[in-house]
Amino acid sequence: MKAIKRRIKSVGSTKQITKAMQLVASSKLRKAKVRAEQARPYFNELYRSMCEIASGRNIQTVFTERREVKRRLFIVVAGDRGLAGGYNSNVLKLAAAAHKNDAEKPKIIAIGRKAVEYFAKRGYELVASYANIAENIKPNTAQDIANIAVDLFTSKEVDEVVVFYTMFVSSMSQQPQSMAVLPMTTAELEETTEITYDPSPEAVFNRIVPRFTASLIQCAVVESYASEQGARRTAMENATDNADAMTESLSLLYNRARQASITTEIIDIVSGASAQG
Amino acid sequence: MTPFKLQIITPEKTFFDGDIEQVIVRTTVGDVGILKGHEPYCAAIGIGQMRVMVNGEFRRAATSGGIIKVSKDLTTILVQTCEWADEIDVTRANAAKEAAEERKRAANDAKELALAEAKLARALNRIDTASFLK
Repeated sequence: MKAIKRRIKSVGSTKQITKAMQLVASSKLRKAKVRAEQARPYFNELYRSMCEIASGRNIQTVFTERREVKRRLFIVVAGDRGLAGGYNSNVLKLAAAAHKNDAEKPKIIAIGRKAVEYFAKRGYELVASYANIAENIKPNTAQDIANIAVDLFTSKEVDEVVVFYTMFVSSMSQQPQSMAVLPMTTAELEETTEITYDPSPEAVFNRIVPRFTASLIQCAVVESYASEQGARRTAMENATDNADAMTESLSLLYNRARQASITTEIIDIVSGASAQG
Repeated sequence: MTPFKLQIITPEKTFFDGDIEQVIVRTTVGDVGILKGHEPYCAAIGIGQMRVMVNGEFRRAATSGGIIKVSKDLTTILVQTCEWADEIDVTRANAAKEAAEERKRAANDAKELALAEAKLARALNRIDTASFLK
């Protein structure tokens, strides 16, 4: 009986923690969603501008050059903390599965402590690692990361750059995704107006690519962060529910045990009394 | 002057959205002024200053790299960072400048040096922009 009582107490205090984490995650999720939305117009506009330049012009620059892929660079965005359901492992697994058929392991830029730990432990070549930046990523940090990736690509050390992140579908559902960044592909626009490019379309295009890469990383990070909070909230909600269910069945057990012990005591007394009488 | 619509968008938010009379930006090939009715135009912006005229008065801002796009009824400026001169925290900019100088001295290779130099250029630009207020 004492043991059951102790269990109930410990489940109760665990529930308090998970409940608190759930609330924290919800409020962080709300903020993260706003940030993810605010990052989108910039990204979309940049992408449109690039497509506009490339449309009907067949632009050939270092950034669009397709080479035989020998070595790739993966930029992997995961969380800084655990306890978020499958959030971290899903995106890391996706990245690991993506290079199964490559002759050489990809170079890695890891964003988020969990990603850094994962790839460092498995002997990948970490070009750069960034921990604890997701909550408050600055455009300049995103640009630094993008510059590393662009440099590696233009110096031909890698032939392809892929970003792995977690797409925020809704608060209940998050989808790990991969997205190829370099070489750059642009969609052909149907309507184009005559635009004067200063000094030349190629020059402007080449200026945009690093910015676009940075913007993509920024978006991937804020979106992943929102996903992380969503995943954590769901995980903690489930944990809280489980704790509730457990407390309920444990108290039932406890009450039964208590009842049983009372019954035996009464039987003891009654039978003792009748033996005397 | 006839007003036209300008949008300034940064990765963090839509920084400005409204009617203005003129905008002057520092592109990679020099300062370019845009008035209403400008032909469709697109150029890259470097680290520098931007002046926006609203109600006959110029407002100055510090920008770092991006692009400007002029179309028939909308001018869009996409920049990584943008700050109005009167909103720049000069003490912070000075601290950033010193930190960047420190990093530049400590830089071991070309990559680190380039990074530090870019940081320094941004900090100097912000200090410079803010100094126009006085």
